[in-house]
Amino acid sequence: MGRLTDRAAFETYAANAQRRWEALWEDRSWVISVGISGCSIAKGAEQTFQHLALLLADGHIPTVLRRVGCMGLCFAEPLVEVKRPGEPPVLYGWVTTDRVPEFVDTLRRGELPTEGVLGVRAFEEWQGIAPLQQHPFLRHQRRLLLEHAGVIDPESIDDYIATGGYRALLKALFEMTPEEVVDEVKRSNLRGRGGAGFPTGIKWESGRRTPAWPKYVVVNSHEGEPNVFKDRRLLEANPHLVLEGLIIGCYALETPFGYNYIGGEHALALRRFQLAVEQAYALGLLGDDILGSGFSCHVRVRTGGGAYICGEGSALMYAIMGQRGQPRTKPPRSVEEGLWKRPTVLNNTETFASVPLIVRNGGSWYATLGTKDSTGTKLVTMQGPVRFLGVAEIELGMSMHRLVFDVFGGVREGYRFKGVQTGGVSAGPLREDELDIPVDFDALTPAGAMLGSGGFVVFDESVCAVDFARYLVAFSRYESCGKCTPCRLGTPALVEILDRIRYGFGRPDDLEVIQYASKQIIELSLCGLGQVAPMPLLGMLERFRDEFIEHITEQRCRAGVCPMTASVSAIP
Amino acid sequence: MELIEHGWTGPDLEPLRRILEERYRPRDYREAQELIVGACQEAQRLYGWVPPSAAQLIADHLGVTANRVYGLLTFYADFQTEPPGRHFLWLCHGAACHVAGAGKIVEYLQRERGIVGRGTLPDRSVTIHVFNGCLGVCDLAPAAQLDHHEYLAHLTQERFEHLLHDLQNDGAAGGADGAVD
Repeated sequence: MGRLTDRAAFETYAANAQRRWEALWEDRSWVISVGISGCSIAKGAEQTFQHLALLLADGHIPTVLRRVGCMGLCFAEPLVEVKRPGEPPVLYGWVTTDRVPEFVDTLRRGELPTEGVLGVRAFEEWQGIAPLQQHPFLRHQRRLLLEHAGVIDPESIDDYIATGGYRALLKALFEMTPEEVVDEVKRSNLRGRGGAGFPTGIKWESGRRTPAWPKYVVVNSHEGEPNVFKDRRLLEANPHLVLEGLIIGCYALETPFGYNYIGGEHALALRRFQLAVEQAYALGLLGDDILGSGFSCHVRVRTGGGAYICGEGSALMYAIMGQRGQPRTKPPRSVEEGLWKRPTVLNNTETFASVPLIVRNGGSWYATLGTKDSTGTKLVTMQGPVRFLGVAEIELGMSMHRLVFDVFGGVREGYRFKGVQTGGVSAGPLREDELDIPVDFDALTPAGAMLGSGGFVVFDESVCAVDFARYLVAFSRYESCGKCTPCRLGTPALVEILDRIRYGFGRPDDLEVIQYASKQIIELSLCGLGQVAPMPLLGMLERFRDEFIEHITEQRCRAGVCPMTASVSAIP
Repeated sequence: MELIEHGWTGPDLEPLRRILEERYRPRDYREAQELIVGACQEAQRLYGWVPPSAAQLIADHLGVTANRVYGLLTFYADFQTEPPGRHFLWLCHGAACHVAGAGKIVEYLQRERGIVGRGTLPDRSVTIHVFNGCLGVCDLAPAAQLDHHEYLAHLTQERFEHLLHDLQNDGAAGGADGAVD
């Protein structure tokens, strides 16, 4: 297939892709889809795939065996979806390679495997199997970005186009001016998904207003926090969605230069996004004069080398430019002076992924989702001993209690809920009695918590607040880029004090020293990461002050985690 | 130094040179600078570390100084400027792994093996890297990744010790089918 040169050619191509897509599901062959993503590979999905391929070929069953992306149901990986002729697709979980022979046998006999049934991908119940969207994990979600995740093959541009992909780009290119695109994004009130929650439309508008040329549009897919993995799952499941959003962003800024900066450790996400870019070039959706519209766009993919600080805007731009990723003082802000000292619009992966939906359905439609000031949906990840581990997409404004106990199923048996750490490493935790609070950009802040990029960690009674706080501050210490003194020297000082407390040598005034040192770090650090580094500690201290005091006065750790050695030599 | 004494003359740079010539062709100096990190990733993938000769090759190829390359190699955690052991073990120290007990393993490494953050066992069998981030496989917490493909799940200090012992004796770390419970 050569480059498509005009809109009509795309329409024909899309119609063909759609026909093939529909034929796939109506065909006399079986369709078996195996979810292949970072988390499922870790649980042996690739082996399951190979094993299935072998046994199905052996049994002479005409099958279309597909690799799909991640549905966010990490707890049930490896996932296998089976569609036999005349039946709706049924999703099975926990299909490890040792289960495959029995699984295939059962299916060949015309029966349905009884183990690990998650649901039928249809609107109605079938053979006593409930629809997938009624699964407890999915029931409370509102899946827009993840709508086709785990259904389409992320390595096939045809699958994406067949399910309505690149329609938003077409609409923007042929029916809207760049100003109208920005207006639509402003009307949607979409706020940056990376953590700060800055209104995207306003950022784009100020990017447009800055006269310097050239301009750049950059996707931040760095995602280096120790408890967030939503962007890489999104890129693994639907890379074209992010790419489409990026191209629309370039169109809105009237610039041909787009970048995606992906953390080097997200190998699969990187590979799939790169492939998506190549496919888009081959089809003429990237390159010069896209579909004859006169608009050109070139996307370059750049990788990081594993430094958390590169998620910070200015550091990320230095990283792209091949410098050490260290932040600089602002102003000038990056929309005025960013990459190569030119205006640069930087947004999170998820923000860009939301743009095609907004362009396609209108900003006012998007604004009806979520709450008045936090519109739309948000990808969240929850970790710790919860029942349903994975990536969920919720409407903003859902209460934290519902998120923890309904969406993620609450804590597993044998654990007692103690708290939930919010905002990655940038905010404090919430106790059980504080969970009646909406999850959005603003409501969590007064409580010392934060939505951040949507990474939450549930911890139970076996986790010591002092130890956990030490972990979170130690993360910031390790990742401090070393440019400014308050962060470089302040975070090790906090870790040192916490270690003292953990080993039973806490001093009576340590808590005051922590407060004082934290204040200095927060007020004097150069970049956002230093300014929030002590937040988790302050939050833990506020919520679980008793535990800190117990450590200091009684040399006792109620969770039994801290070393509490008496001899001085034990201090590392 | 030790390697040179053993008659080792340096890595075969041909594969790296081929990749650089095929895929790292900057059109201008700006792009050349943008490509340094990516080129270092290729070297890291090929050799398990970035040997000095590879760093020099990258610098020459992209028209930057070796200093510039080393500035990045020593800044980013992904790159190693020392040769690794026979096996490479990434121990995830994300928040989920920490609350599930990875902290104990990290302390064990520090206490018993003298490894803080990253290090190679004296017999050069295993290089252990405590990953300050998230491997994204929280369902397996505490988790580790062996030689960039095999995952080890639900580690305890005891199982971790066994694992190291097996690797030192070059035994298999576990089953071949993905995660080992």
